[in-house]
Amino acid sequence: MREPFDFTAGTRDGGSTFSGTAKGARVACEAGCVRALSFSDTGNAEGPVVFAGYGIVVPEGQSFAYDSYATLDVKDKIVLVLRYFPEDAEAKTKQVLARYADLRYKAMAARQHGAKAMIVVTGPRSPNAGELAPMTFDTAIAGSGIVAVTINGATADKMFAAAGKRLEDVQKSLDDANPHAAGFAMPDVTAAVHADVVREKKTGHNVVAYLPATDALTTTAKPWVAIGAHYDHLGHGEAGNTLASKDDAGKVHAGADDNASGAAAVLSIAATLAKEKRHRNVLVGLWSGEELGLIGSIAFATAPPVPVDQIAAYLNFDMVGRMQDNKLTVQATGTSPMWAKIVEQANVAAGFDLAVQEDPYQPTDVATFNSAGIPCLSFFTGTHADYHKPSDTPDKIDYEDLDRVAAFAAAILRRVENTPEPPQFTKVEQQLQSGGGRAGVRVFTGTIPDYSSEAKGLLLGGVVGGGPAEQAGLQKGDIIVEIAGQTIANIYDYTYALDVLKIGQPAKVVYLRGGVRRETMLTPGARK
Amino acid sequence: MRVLRSVSIAFVLVAPLASQSAYQERDFLTRVRRLTVEGRRAGEGYWSPDGSRVVFQSEREPGNPFYQIYVLDLMSGDTKRISPGIGKTTCAFFRPGTDEIEFASTHADPKSKQYQEDELAFRASGKERRYAWDYDPEMDIYAYSEKTGALKRLTEARGYDAEGSYSPDGQWIVFTSMRDAYNRQLSEKEKKQLDTDPSYFAEIYIMRADGSGQRRLTTVAGYDGGPFFTPDGKQIVWRRFDESGLIANVWMMNPDGSDQRQITDFGSMSWAPYMHPSGQYIIFASNKLGFENFELFMVDKDGKKEPVRVTYTDGFDGLPVPSPDGKTLAWTSSRAGGSGGQIFLAQWNHEKAMEALKNAPPKKPAGKS
Repeated sequence: MREPFDFTAGTRDGGSTFSGTAKGARVACEAGCVRALSFSDTGNAEGPVVFAGYGIVVPEGQSFAYDSYATLDVKDKIVLVLRYFPEDAEAKTKQVLARYADLRYKAMAARQHGAKAMIVVTGPRSPNAGELAPMTFDTAIAGSGIVAVTINGATADKMFAAAGKRLEDVQKSLDDANPHAAGFAMPDVTAAVHADVVREKKTGHNVVAYLPATDALTTTAKPWVAIGAHYDHLGHGEAGNTLASKDDAGKVHAGADDNASGAAAVLSIAATLAKEKRHRNVLVGLWSGEELGLIGSIAFATAPPVPVDQIAAYLNFDMVGRMQDNKLTVQATGTSPMWAKIVEQANVAAGFDLAVQEDPYQPTDVATFNSAGIPCLSFFTGTHADYHKPSDTPDKIDYEDLDRVAAFAAAILRRVENTPEPPQFTKVEQQLQSGGGRAGVRVFTGTIPDYSSEAKGLLLGGVVGGGPAEQAGLQKGDIIVEIAGQTIANIYDYTYALDVLKIGQPAKVVYLRGGVRRETMLTPGARK
Repeated sequence: MRVLRSVSIAFVLVAPLASQSAYQERDFLTRVRRLTVEGRRAGEGYWSPDGSRVVFQSEREPGNPFYQIYVLDLMSGDTKRISPGIGKTTCAFFRPGTDEIEFASTHADPKSKQYQEDELAFRASGKERRYAWDYDPEMDIYAYSEKTGALKRLTEARGYDAEGSYSPDGQWIVFTSMRDAYNRQLSEKEKKQLDTDPSYFAEIYIMRADGSGQRRLTTVAGYDGGPFFTPDGKQIVWRRFDESGLIANVWMMNPDGSDQRQITDFGSMSWAPYMHPSGQYIIFASNKLGFENFELFMVDKDGKKEPVRVTYTDGFDGLPVPSPDGKTLAWTSSRAGGSGGQIFLAQWNHEKAMEALKNAPPKKPAGKS
């Protein structure tokens, strides 16, 4: 059965425009002078222009204080900011500034200071001088609550000329990162911005089948077991997470290990089980959209053809075709107290040099099933030099050991499938904050963001058991819209907001539950 | 698999490190496989005489944070606990020709349960301490009957009695006891020693399989422990620590305690010796390459050559036990990561081992290398 689901596959500019005036005269914008930023809202903004330097706000508590908006009034105005961060700053200072120089973060800062729109220009003293910032693709997409575009250097030069300045001089005055060097209002300069961001909706398909039980257990509360693997890969590498070298860019990414190997294992196990007595129904799933953020399996778990609480266990396969030295990793064993025993027993016959990871918060579909409260395991033969490259080809697959992995997993599944009592689910505490990946995030809130959401705010895909979010009463499905006084339009705002939270100091969280606005206090812990 | 954004994935191209040895781990050990998975740690895996089962200790009993003894059937994969479930246990061994398995246990100590709860509370508090074996003075050796489930106590003396193993004919048990610290008046210096490191008093003893005729075989200060009979039953191989407890070497003697002789002089902590069924060489563990880096080594039975390194993997490798046919090695390793060791099995290449031992240079006295 093909199960369709909709998702945002990317963004493109649908015809953004820019026009300015300088001392009443029109600032011409040639073709290609403007482009929307991928996270921009679609909309119009018009008003006087304020140059806000690099547009960087370093939150309090960092080793270095810097606020491009400290002396500026940008309310209801359009801010013009430089891309990147001060070019001549000391390395240590740069490290701090770089963390807050992301264009999304700049857009959030502009919005929070009341600006109507943000215009970005790449300064003449920076790399890619004068060029438009690219419209980077991002799957965790949602409008940032502000119109944001990038213009080329020539257009910006004209605006600065009207203010009697040269952009290069202005940039140089900011480039030593002196916190007292400020931007300025640009009298007699106005801008009219139209940002048009087209979010491309596409339809993906999971493929789901099942083997009905032949000798159904009449006693069991959970008459299903499930196996699955994602069958999507990176195409020609359009989606951004390719690791192809420049020479290989744009080539077909075969994905033999990631994840034709997993899909093959699933089909092989299904073929084996089809010939046997089955005490539970076996659901067989091939997920799409995994590489874009687990969106296929999340779509499955959101609208499952079988109620998820009827599924006794799920086994996941992601990259199982490149075994080295007999080493196999079994992940998510912490999701049930039964797993270690079952895995140990099955491995006496299978004989792998097993590595066992309790953590189910893995970058593969097993995370989805863990969030759904299903005892689950994921099988993985390890990463390799061809990972996410066009060179992940079928000739490099170790077929013999792929068969062994399938046989091992089938033995584990059989053990669950014919035991009347379904394995008990255990919630594993998440060790690392998901998302962001920014080394500086030190606070632990225990939230599990749903990356696939386009909701305004941060939709929670779950909360870590016993974590601060759970203690604050937050739960799966809540949408966080404000934390510690900062409005949250998307996950990026949220990760930036984490920077201002202090360990042990309660922060007000505003969230939506069932459309109703609520408040709670959350006390962040220390990230382990 | 998605790129894990919070963890950078490094692609490590494994190049063989330049090594003085002409051999690598895979020359001796192939098809490495992990035998135990459940529980925080497992170790001391010893083969049944027919090689079809392994008895081992593992921290996996619900409500008990300490080792209990389990028998694993290598055909079915089934595992069964044979120890009482209460207190601490260690060092099990199949008695050849019978249904008995000996092991050491503290379950007779009324305080056992309290210790379990204290340890569980300590672990629940999230605190960690270095793993250390505590030489519980209430530890005594028992023989368990697989047929009847009966448990027979073989030692009574106060002080740690453990580390037992049977002779190949099943008639004798060699073991380690610290009774010497309790059965006589200690000097002030010795009292202090008992507080800081009771293993100083450990000596090798022998008794009949029914516990009778207990007799002391070693009398040298410092931890004498881990004794096993050689496959022909004519010798005992064990490890002897110096008084500092930092240096240990492999020794051999006759079962009556005569002809005690030092096999290795390796200048490091060399322990857990076990003779290969061929009778030609002893496999042991040593931290020769770094205080916390235990690797397996082997040495010829007469100790005439330098030991040959066997394992080349990060983490702890120790407690080697060859299968009765000599073709498989069981050992305890932390190579899979995590907080404790687990038992691994690998095919053992006896021919390659013999070749490497033959090619090994003559023994260099420690400190003169």
